[in-house]
Amino acid sequence: MPENSEQILTTVTDIVAAELGVPADSLTPETDLRGLEGADSVKVLRMVARIEQRYDIELEDEDVFTVATVSQVVTVVEKALAAEGAR
Amino acid sequence: MTTTTTTDPGAMPVSDTNVHYDLEPEIFGLFLDPLRKYSSGLYRSPDDSLEQAQLQKLAFVADRLGVRGGERVLDAGCGWGSVILHFAKEYGCRTTGISPAGAQHAYIAQRAAELGVADRVTSVVGHFEEVELKDGGYDAVTMLGSIVHMPDLVGVLRKARSLLRRGGRLYVSESCFRSDAVREEFDARTGTRFVRESIFGYGELRPLSELVRGAETAGFSVTSVDDLTADYHRTIEDWIANVHARADRIDAVRPGMAEKLVRYLEVANAGWGYTTKHYALVCTKAR
Repeated sequence: MPENSEQILTTVTDIVAAELGVPADSLTPETDLRGLEGADSVKVLRMVARIEQRYDIELEDEDVFTVATVSQVVTVVEKALAAEGAR
Repeated sequence: MTTTTTTDPGAMPVSDTNVHYDLEPEIFGLFLDPLRKYSSGLYRSPDDSLEQAQLQKLAFVADRLGVRGGERVLDAGCGWGSVILHFAKEYGCRTTGISPAGAQHAYIAQRAAELGVADRVTSVVGHFEEVELKDGGYDAVTMLGSIVHMPDLVGVLRKARSLLRRGGRLYVSESCFRSDAVREEFDARTGTRFVRESIFGYGELRPLSELVRGAETAGFSVTSVDDLTADYHRTIEDWIANVHARADRIDAVRPGMAEKLVRYLEVANAGWGYTTKHYALVCTKAR
C-alpha cells in the first residue's frame, strides 16, 4: 500500500531530524533545511541517500539541487514514486 | 518534418538524415549483410565474413546492454530494422524502432511477419526528437550511428534517459572526429562536404569527449567505451567489395548508383584513425 502525502511527510521529517540531529517536532513542512544549524553538505547527502533507500527511488539532480523545505522534499519524493509507478 | 542546413554559403541544402535511405530497398540488399545492418560489424578473426561480424556486433550490443531476454528495447534510427528484428527474434524482446525514412517501415513489417515476431516489433515513422514515447517505458535504448544526424545532443540524451527505467542502459555507437583540433581542421573540407551533401545528410562528427560530456550533462553514468574504428573500416571494405561484385545488379535498379556508392564509401573509409574514430559508448540511468 503506497504511502499518502501525510505519511511521506512524517517519514521524511523523521529522516531529516535523524540525519541533521534535531528533534522531529522542531521541523514543520515549511522549515528551510538550508538554514538549519549543522546542515552541512555531507549530512544533506546522507539524508537524500536515506530517503532514496527508504522508498527505493533515485531523485533527479535538479530536484536534489533545488529543494529547500521539508515540504519540497516530500514533493520530489512523490514525483520520483510516480515515475517509478509509470514503469 | 525535415529541416535543412548547409555547410557553407551557396552549398546545396543538406537533409537531416541519410538521404539515400529512401532509395530502392533492393540496393541495400545487394551490398549489406542479410540483416541489412547499416552500421559497423565486429570482427573476431581475420576470416570472419560480413554476416558473422554483424551477428557478433548485435551480440556485443546485447551484452553491453545486459539484455538477457524479454526486455523492452527502443532503437532510435532503426534503419532496416536489424536491431529490433534480431532482438525480438533472438532474445524475445519487445522492440520499437524509429526512423524518418518511410521506405524502411514496410520492409520491417514484412520481415517481422516472416520471422514470426510481428507481435513484438513496432516501427514508427518520425524523428526521435519529436516522437512521443512513454517515460520509463524501456529497459534499453540503442542509437547505432544515428545521433550524428541529431543537432541537439544534450536534448536527445536527456530524452533517451527519460525513456529508460532506473538502471536501464543506453548504447550509442558513433563516428567521431579524433579530437577538437582535427574537427576544426577537417570539418569544412571537400571530402566531408561531399559525404554530407551527396548521401550522408546532416552529420555532426562530435569528438568522443563531447559525447561523454553530453551524457554526463544529461544525467547518465558512463559504463563503458569501446573503440570500433578498425571494425568499421573492415565493414566498409566488405561493403565496397559487395558493391563491386554486384555493380551490374545495383545499376540495373538505379543507373550509375554503384560508382556513386563506391566513391561515398571510399571517402567514408579514408579517414579512420587519422581524422575519425568510431566508438561505442554505453551509459546507465544510475548514479
